[in-house]
Amino acid sequence: MTDKINDPVAVWQKMIGEMEKNFNAFATRAMESPEFSQAMNRAGGIAAGAQKQFGELMEKYLVSMNLPSREQMTGIAERLQVIEGQIGEIKSMLGQMSAASGRSPAGAAPRPPRTKKPPPEGGVQK
Amino acid sequence: MNAPAGLDLAAIPERIQAEVQRAIMRSIKGVEYFSTSGPTLGSTPKDVLLSRGTMNLLHYRPMSDEIYRVPVLIVMATTNRGYILDLVPGQSFIEFLLKRGYDVYMLDWTAPRPEEKSLRMEDYVLDFIPDCVRRVQADSGEQDVSVIGYCFGGVLSLLYGSIFSDGPMKNLICFTTPIDFREMKLFANFSDRRYFDVDRLVDSVGNVPPEMILSSFEMLRPASRTVSQIQLWENIWNDEFVKSYRMFDRWATDTLPLAGEYFRTITKDLMWDNKLFNDSMSVGGRAAKLENIKVPILHAVAEHDHIVPYDAAKHLIARIGSEDKEEVMLKGGHVSLVAGANAVKRLWPKLDSWLGKRST
Repeated sequence: MTDKINDPVAVWQKMIGEMEKNFNAFATRAMESPEFSQAMNRAGGIAAGAQKQFGELMEKYLVSMNLPSREQMTGIAERLQVIEGQIGEIKSMLGQMSAASGRSPAGAAPRPPRTKKPPPEGGVQK
Repeated sequence: MNAPAGLDLAAIPERIQAEVQRAIMRSIKGVEYFSTSGPTLGSTPKDVLLSRGTMNLLHYRPMSDEIYRVPVLIVMATTNRGYILDLVPGQSFIEFLLKRGYDVYMLDWTAPRPEEKSLRMEDYVLDFIPDCVRRVQADSGEQDVSVIGYCFGGVLSLLYGSIFSDGPMKNLICFTTPIDFREMKLFANFSDRRYFDVDRLVDSVGNVPPEMILSSFEMLRPASRTVSQIQLWENIWNDEFVKSYRMFDRWATDTLPLAGEYFRTITKDLMWDNKLFNDSMSVGGRAAKLENIKVPILHAVAEHDHIVPYDAAKHLIARIGSEDKEEVMLKGGHVSLVAGANAVKRLWPKLDSWLGKRST
């Protein structure tokens, strides 16, 4: 086996690892300063404002093009999700009713009994 | 000319040949990487029991002939998708629990829609979790429920457990759960109240965009993304490495937006006023004191967690009112603690031995 000290690939990987560690440590120190927080939040505030304005502009553009906006599309998605949710609930209720009557619903496996005990201390799990 | 000490000249041609082969494989696999999708994640068979906007309650189909009496409800962090706990067969925490005889439910989240920007902490703690617990009780026919919370899912579980201290939570397991938010030093600095106008942000964008959440996570280790891409290129000939990279990369970048009002409360009550740690937290006017939690609790923390440093999590066990309480520190980071090859050997067996005897 080649010695790691003389393996150029291993040296390269070690160097990358060290660079990552050092850069992260350096960046962390810089980001802990109040000046960083101030600069970051100033930039973030401008970006958030710009995003809002752009969103409003886009909304007007879509209306003029007679196209549905994202909000309208998410409205439709929401209605679909509600329908899916209701189907899920109906399936769940049917499952409970079948379980109560001692029959398993079509396609559903019967639930196993809740009788499992933990293996003894030091024992092997089956 | 003599070779430097320790340099094995005979091994050099072999090494060059191996590197040339890897270089060729890199080119072939590199094309493959961009032309194929990653492994299918979250494929353990399950049913959706309840779906209300951002909230989804899943029930995983049992994989054992006999199951423990007490069902388990996993509360996922609101910033990320639950499939981190159900990656692929053999590396799925959910599958592990099912095969060990647990009846598993998960409270998982989808992106809150624009109209859900008004969801508050109260909705999560006093409505979503209790509603899911009721559904689990009805579906399983059992009154007792064990709760597992991951990261901020742990915070929500703690708030729930401290308010509903009379039950029905039977056991509580928290993974990497912060309670002292001052100790999340970079997040605390990013949200410094002197410079961070949370009201302005929430009022202008509604829900906090996932890009912002992702950036703040990535800023904790700014060089790591670039380095992981270099490592991917170096190891692209290695199918197992690539599979693992794709699973974790997909999950890490699949960040969820946060409901605006909920984010406002997290910032003001937890990041600014550190109310959970200071014992002054309340949700919807109901006091949430950690000392009210009296059920058995296990807190698993990671030795190299850069998202929730140990200092932010270490006081949890001391503050809990339970007599049966334990903290376990394991090797790994915030994600590798719960998912991936190391979790299979470390956290999962520990959790099974702790929870099994408390689930009958």
